[in-house]
Amino acid sequence: MTGLHIDSVIKYFGIKHILNDIFITCEKGEIVGILGRNGSGKSTLMKIIFGSISAENKFVMVGSKPINTLADSADTIRYLPQSGFLPTHVNIRKLISVFCGKQNAQFLFTHELVKPYLDKKSEELSGGQRRILEIVMTIYSDAQYFLLDEPFNGVAPIQVDLIKELIRDQLPNKGFIITDHDYKNILELSTKIVLMKDGSIKLIKNQAELIEFGYLPVGSVISH
Amino acid sequence: MKFLNQFWVFYKKLIIPSAIVSIVIALIGMGNINIIAASGTVFIFITPFFHFIFYDLSNPKEYYFYYNVGLSRWMLWVGTIVFSLIIGGVLALI
Repeated sequence: MTGLHIDSVIKYFGIKHILNDIFITCEKGEIVGILGRNGSGKSTLMKIIFGSISAENKFVMVGSKPINTLADSADTIRYLPQSGFLPTHVNIRKLISVFCGKQNAQFLFTHELVKPYLDKKSEELSGGQRRILEIVMTIYSDAQYFLLDEPFNGVAPIQVDLIKELIRDQLPNKGFIITDHDYKNILELSTKIVLMKDGSIKLIKNQAELIEFGYLPVGSVISH
Repeated sequence: MKFLNQFWVFYKKLIIPSAIVSIVIALIGMGNINIIAASGTVFIFITPFFHFIFYDLSNPKEYYFYYNVGLSRWMLWVGTIVFSLIIGGVLALI
């Protein structure tokens, strides 16, 4: 088995069946885009893969290594949550050195997106600046697979393009699973698209299927 | 060493407020007995309290920073209790 392999994920919230036998794979060099309506379970699935919440059943492997706990995923999977996660009491330079590994930290210390903020604390930055730092720190860390939950939320369009480039640059050696309501950017960036609906995953072959499955409204402009 | 470096970032948020409150409580409540020892004893109990207030109650999303470096909530709680016992215990024995 190669890559990130996720199988048989089952999750209930009370009596509500959120995830029903989910199966996804992600190889290095792949960007898997997950689309789905609010409450379809996208974030829950990412947290289960990462190991921060439990599931009734799950099978997650990276190569031949099973991922059951956060300690298992520490060197292999990184998760960018929807809302800001940077500690506010330490400067960005220290956070990067703890979060990214020595080699990546040295690179980021000279990176144009990071350098202006190194001696500031995250609470001194705007929401957009914090989000960009979180994304850059996440993708420039030592893991092999990345779960990005709404990375473009709150980021200016011009910087969204820059972030997409940064993700593409990492591709040969890393794999990404990414979700965002900005579906146009997800469609543009992803090498494989899946739709979460009714607790299940559907592989999407073309944009017309997003209309057919009720994710996009009828009459949406379909572009290539 | 890596763990200590990561955990120190987490614990740093707790140590100064815990130390200040411990000294104040020791000064107010302990009269003329050994203030350092009394502060150490209070520190053991007040630091987990601040852990709960600062992280679990006020800012639980910050946990994801530590989850990403492999530190679970359980490990951080154990770390807080152990470090507070060591620091507070040493002060209490002075």
